[in-house]
Amino acid sequence: MFEQLIDMIFSASFGYSIIRITSPILFAALAAVVAEKAGVVNIGLEGTMMISALFGVLFAYWTNSWIIGVIGATAIGILVAMIMAIFALKLKTDIILAGIAVNLLGGGGTVFLLYLFTGLKGNTASLTTPNMLTPKVDIPIIQNIPVIGQIFSGHSILTYVAFLLVILVWIMLYKTAMGLRIRAVGENSHAADSVGVSVLRTQYVALAISGALAGLGGAYMSMYYSQSWNIGIVAGRGFIALAAQAMGQGEPVGAMLSSLLFGFASALGNKMEGMQGFSSYLVASIPYAVTIIGLVIYAMSTLKKVKRFKDNDK
Amino acid sequence: MKKLLSMLLASALAVSMLAGCGGGNDANKETDNGAATEGETKVYKVCNLVNGNLGDKSFFDSAEAGLAQLKADGRIEYTTIEMGGTTEDESKWQGYVEEVSASGEYDLIVCGTYQMPDYLKNVAEQYPDQKYLIYDDTTHILPNVANLSYAQNDLGYLVGVYAGAMTTETSLEGINEDAVVGFVGGVDSPVINDFLYGFILGAQESNPDIKVDTRYVNSYVDPAKAKELAESMINDKNCDIIWGVAGNSGNGAAEAALETGKAYFIGVDSDQELTFSPEMAEITLTSGLKNVGNSLIWFFDEWDAGREHFGKQTLLGMKEGGIGIVTDKNFDSKTPEAVKEKVTAAIEAVSNGDVVVPTAVGNETNEVQDLREAVKP
Repeated sequence: MFEQLIDMIFSASFGYSIIRITSPILFAALAAVVAEKAGVVNIGLEGTMMISALFGVLFAYWTNSWIIGVIGATAIGILVAMIMAIFALKLKTDIILAGIAVNLLGGGGTVFLLYLFTGLKGNTASLTTPNMLTPKVDIPIIQNIPVIGQIFSGHSILTYVAFLLVILVWIMLYKTAMGLRIRAVGENSHAADSVGVSVLRTQYVALAISGALAGLGGAYMSMYYSQSWNIGIVAGRGFIALAAQAMGQGEPVGAMLSSLLFGFASALGNKMEGMQGFSSYLVASIPYAVTIIGLVIYAMSTLKKVKRFKDNDK
Repeated sequence: MKKLLSMLLASALAVSMLAGCGGGNDANKETDNGAATEGETKVYKVCNLVNGNLGDKSFFDSAEAGLAQLKADGRIEYTTIEMGGTTEDESKWQGYVEEVSASGEYDLIVCGTYQMPDYLKNVAEQYPDQKYLIYDDTTHILPNVANLSYAQNDLGYLVGVYAGAMTTETSLEGINEDAVVGFVGGVDSPVINDFLYGFILGAQESNPDIKVDTRYVNSYVDPAKAKELAESMINDKNCDIIWGVAGNSGNGAAEAALETGKAYFIGVDSDQELTFSPEMAEITLTSGLKNVGNSLIWFFDEWDAGREHFGKQTLLGMKEGGIGIVTDKNFDSKTPEAVKEKVTAAIEAVSNGDVVVPTAVGNETNEVQDLREAVKP
């Protein structure tokens, strides 16, 4: 049995799966990172992704172009984030409540919007044409290397964008003036305010970036991963991303690693489903169990570090 | 800014109210027309409560079509109320059932799916003279409620016979010679396993050495997860035919089949070929049907004939038209004659009782689970 499992883990399709499962979570985790850095909790990622996923399909359907679909999904992501920002930052609602509202809107409001625009009520499977789906990209040279090529080549263009964005978000946060302002506002908004940084404006910008990233995650879900939109399509990935952000200590690279860990655990669960003697309920909990174990290991290592630091102090 | 927001909100409210009124008017019109075509036999007044929306291309549309047929034949007049299907809408369902029951206008109130029994029970006990019908659920048996359920094990058997025979038909592009088929279920639950039970037995009927890879999505709305599962079935286990019994999630299995180009999909509940994009319809061989609409017509046939089915569970199979398998379109064009004959024979055998498929519902002995593990590739 374990031989079978190990065979499957060391297959190229397993690595490919991990990257594909990780991508939407990574988009959302980066979205959470940027918002968190500016001191706002964007708990509305799930709903934002749901709404963007729908509009990505709709824009792509109307124009028969996936590019317009992706741009539309991103724009809608920003729009939703801005609505949240107006409520939270200008009208001073609790941001958590605004986020919950967005999630509820993403759950029920999307069905209403779908019906309004298309007359459909459950899913958009009948609308999909090949032009509406984000294309797969074969990376030259790499695609010809055995195993490596099968794992890293042939993903959706958005997957490469997601991993590229890890670097871009890092550069934005640590190498640009905007990033400095975002971090300053997140660390101590009063201090930032006292040196003339507009706290509100910075938080607006951070939420907009967060919304755009979540929007891309939504587009990935409906325009590549699932090839159509349906009720509840995001299925909790927005919340998992919040966990990935926390587990990654709010850093882009950390968030990427924890997203990958989650992707690995999910892919492992999917393979184990097909083996004899595993209850599907047990298997379904693997990604979450792995996340908890990851957190425990991380906390233990931090504790050790702190202890060593204290010991040295003595 | 605040002003603008409140204006927006107010207009949104106004629009939604207007939309609500519009729906109501349509429904009224329908009833009026129905009254005009009154025949000699009793014309029943029926209220159809949809705990979701029409347009699902599945149960709700099927029930609606059955009622429309009955109305066209001048046997009933009916009103359909779409109660909405989101978590937030659920809080209103009880109110709707209560309201239409209290009105006393209807001879029969129809609702369905596993989500409704508790709401129905609460109200049905208060209105013992009101008659109700609930389809695809048998949770509570009440004297004034007719429970219609569908022999999904028989349905599974038919699909299994077909899949088991097709998986070695290498003349069809994409089919490999390995006798392995797949089953993507929603949740490891008695109803889903009832489909599975029949499916495995049917597949074994066609090919005693068949392997069946069964995996559960654990969600009815996560096609992406179903896609991962199905791809693993196709790539790791050489599955070439996958039956998706998982609501919206099932579509993910169809996508996996399309993307890998090495497998075919079979739909469930309704004719899914009709609901897909052309590319996905192309790799959908057939669908196992639960004919809610037919079962409602059957129910009124029985009622008119003086046979009442209230206060008990009525299991509808092939004979009553409650279940079926799609045999036109792709099935017709892609299936070799020998396999078609096998399916026809299986339909025959199930309808006249030559084959009795055991059920997983209420089965405490875990026979399905043991069988499921035994046939895993």
